[in-house]
Amino acid sequence: MNMLTPLPDSKWNDATAAHLLNRAGFGGTPDEIERTWQKGLIPAVRDLVEVKGDAANLPAPAWAHPRNIRAQRMEIKAAKDRGENFQSKARQIRMMEGDEIVDLRRWWLDRMLNGPAPLLEKMTLFWHGHFATSIQKVQDAYWMWLQNDTLRRNALGSFGMLVKKISRDPAMMIYLDLQQSRQEHPNENWARELMELFTVGIGNYTEQDIRESARAFTGYRIDMTTQQFRSAPFQQDHRPKTFMGATGNFNGDNIIDILVGKPACAQFVGRKLWRFFVEDEPSTTIVDSVAATIRSHNFEMRPALREIFTSAEFYSDRVMGNQIKSPVQYIVQTSKLLNASAPAPIAAQNAMRQMGQILFAPPNVKGWDGGKEWISTSTLLFRYNFANYLVNGSAMLPGEAMARGRGAGPGFRMGNIAEQIKRDPIEVGKLVPSEIRAKPREVVDLLAKRLFPTRPSDKEIDAFVKYLETRGSDGTDATLRELIHLMMSTPQFQLA
Amino acid sequence: MNMNTKATLQTRRKFLRTSMLGAAATWTLPVFLEKTFFALDALAADAATQIVTGKDGTILVVLQMAGGNDGLNTVIPYADDAYHVARPRLRLAADQVLKIDNHIGLHPKLSGLKSFYDEGHLAIVQGVGYPNPNRSHFRSTEIWQTASDADHTLSDGWLGRYFDNCCSGADPTVGVAIGGETPQAFAAKNPTGVTFSRPEQFRFQPSARGNGQMSAEEMFFRELNEGAAGDESGTAASNAGGSIGAIPGKTKNDLSTLDFLQRTALDAQLSSDKILAIARKYKSTVPYPQGQLAASLNIIARMIAGGLATRVYYASQGGFDTHAGQINTHERLIGEFNEAASAFVADLKQQGNFDRVLLMTFSEFGRRVQENANGGTDHGAAAPMFVLGGAVKAGLFGKHPSLTDLDRGDLKFNTDFRSVYGTVLDRWLKAPSQIVLGRKFAELSIL
Repeated sequence: MNMLTPLPDSKWNDATAAHLLNRAGFGGTPDEIERTWQKGLIPAVRDLVEVKGDAANLPAPAWAHPRNIRAQRMEIKAAKDRGENFQSKARQIRMMEGDEIVDLRRWWLDRMLNGPAPLLEKMTLFWHGHFATSIQKVQDAYWMWLQNDTLRRNALGSFGMLVKKISRDPAMMIYLDLQQSRQEHPNENWARELMELFTVGIGNYTEQDIRESARAFTGYRIDMTTQQFRSAPFQQDHRPKTFMGATGNFNGDNIIDILVGKPACAQFVGRKLWRFFVEDEPSTTIVDSVAATIRSHNFEMRPALREIFTSAEFYSDRVMGNQIKSPVQYIVQTSKLLNASAPAPIAAQNAMRQMGQILFAPPNVKGWDGGKEWISTSTLLFRYNFANYLVNGSAMLPGEAMARGRGAGPGFRMGNIAEQIKRDPIEVGKLVPSEIRAKPREVVDLLAKRLFPTRPSDKEIDAFVKYLETRGSDGTDATLRELIHLMMSTPQFQLA
Repeated sequence: MNMNTKATLQTRRKFLRTSMLGAAATWTLPVFLEKTFFALDALAADAATQIVTGKDGTILVVLQMAGGNDGLNTVIPYADDAYHVARPRLRLAADQVLKIDNHIGLHPKLSGLKSFYDEGHLAIVQGVGYPNPNRSHFRSTEIWQTASDADHTLSDGWLGRYFDNCCSGADPTVGVAIGGETPQAFAAKNPTGVTFSRPEQFRFQPSARGNGQMSAEEMFFRELNEGAAGDESGTAASNAGGSIGAIPGKTKNDLSTLDFLQRTALDAQLSSDKILAIARKYKSTVPYPQGQLAASLNIIARMIAGGLATRVYYASQGGFDTHAGQINTHERLIGEFNEAASAFVADLKQQGNFDRVLLMTFSEFGRRVQENANGGTDHGAAAPMFVLGGAVKAGLFGKHPSLTDLDRGDLKFNTDFRSVYGTVLDRWLKAPSQIVLGRKFAELSIL
């Protein structure tokens, strides 16, 4: 069996510790990096992977409970058909839905930034991209929260179990039309994506496998009162199916067991894990190693993650500081690095949209491609200008869309936008001690270490120093915020 | 990074920078750029003719009518009894429509388009759609944006694949979308194209604003983002014999991540400079109406006048999801479209650019034939597209779909939308549609 090479103790230092926190979580402050380093590699990885049992047991947002929003929509429609006044009720519901999804995004960003289990949140984000589902079709924030909760509770455990839970997840069932699938008309949408995008990948199944497995997934329904999955045996196709060479009266879980048993599945998941946490183009040797670990541990995710985060390959020069931060990573990690609160919910939502990764609304069932696809001239300039907002506060609005609230999406209320995106400038004193403020080189060294994953070239460091000097090296808050904004307006800052 | 890639990059930077300088002589330049201007100019001079300069090539303007435009009340089969039966409240009578022939007429608000038709500059493609139509805004828009089959999901947009396959190494402004978000049609393996709402916003915004002059911070930002391009002495000579246009552009997979980011940062800075410079220099003398669509088309017209090296512009108009009280809403939207498009065409004619610009409209679907109980229409399927331009062969193309032979209450398509895309790619952008769209679709004689 192939194995990754363990990282030698001699390579465990503050840089590798910072790298671990960047990739397995959402970055670390200098203090957190120091503590992680002191802990040692194996205990540090253990603490990330072996999260406390109740870490996934999070209090839901206050509004997140079953309440049959569809029935309310139908009431409105009926009132409308009767010619009654339905506008105020309809507006109320729309507002509620819009506010909820904004709040759900806030809630999750808060978990990422302040929660006790960064890897658990990062894996939940990984699975959100893997089992991509969008509020745009699901149209109910409760179901999006419920899926998020399911992903989190199963994020580090058995992959087979997770797929089965997702096959019964109302948001997914709506997104891929599974709840419409019945014996006479099996819907193939879910069956196709289950194979193409969730388990074995393209090339490892036939069109017949799709048709036959679609029959096995008939009879999955949602109880609209409880808003949970229910089984509808009369809609189910109980006849024999021939799937991947085997014939039997398979149900959905049987199909998932068969798929997860295929070597291609461990390869597919292993490759995707490596791409998410480590690098865009993994070698086949590495994919084989991760896949072998996944298979030998019965598709438990923890052993594979432990192996990745303790491997020399994960800490190699070509990997460290060479991943483009996803928009979500950018928002959370920047807030952490600036020792500041997360941006206001509506500002964060707008920024996610403009940067191309809006939580709970992936562009399609393939999720986000990530890597270099995050960056275009538009998104890069937006990142630079959004950095301005994060550092200098709402005095500087990142772009017209923010100022006018356009693109802010549902939940945005005209008139109080300024109130909603209000943000104070960062407290420079938390980042730069007063005794070095008037010493440009020390200020630049300190901030460079904090902000960049790898130290910029001497030439660039000198340029920042020179900038401070020409600004009069007075070290005022405003000047230092300018410097911080400039350091963030660089290609290097986009990397983790 | 190998030497060859490096040389290409450096050359590309020089070219961009030189063409930027050429277009913006009055712009306050960082000193280090001024110093190298003349040296770079000589290098770019022979190469410039091989790159789209913005002054010659054909230009496509894509106009998205978001929400599902009611095609049946846009291009109206006024002589068909079934139309009047299905639309008791929404129907437009024979004496109201702008007649194209004995059967078909345009919405009364489309007077501008009617005159373009009469002048021979408007092609109306009827009954456009795709097999197994999807009635979700979200999914159907995605199908139009990616040009996929209904049962297959693609991530990259059809214009993105055009950029990837046909424009590698091109200026980033080869695609320009006006709006807050990049349309999925631009999504690409090697993302290119720029998106902005207002030229003034598509730029680095320093913390402190100077008084009309570039702030120290902005100046420094410029130098910072020239970082990798600063070490270029020597490489120019090694590449001087080559012509820029002949060197295939490097895809992002050939670049290290940092190189890629540096290149994009430079592209962003230079394109934002160019766009801002053009926006300041070129103002339209043709009056434009109020409204967002008119403002978007006005920006596009000014970018065309200023010679931005763009092949594809993208603008959108929203609000077409008329489930209730359609008659006034639709009239307002169609009127806004008509006036904006008319001003745009008048502007292009005045510039002398009408013959090299093609405006193509699309909407994710048409609407249900039968009007609903709320004086609106629900999501439908096939609908017409407009293709407008000085080089267009005017006429009605495709058949108007039957109003009685329906698919679940919706019009059946007879022209695949990818036939329109394919024709525009092959005949207008001179790009192989088979590669961009994955297969060959029947061509239309609109061009």
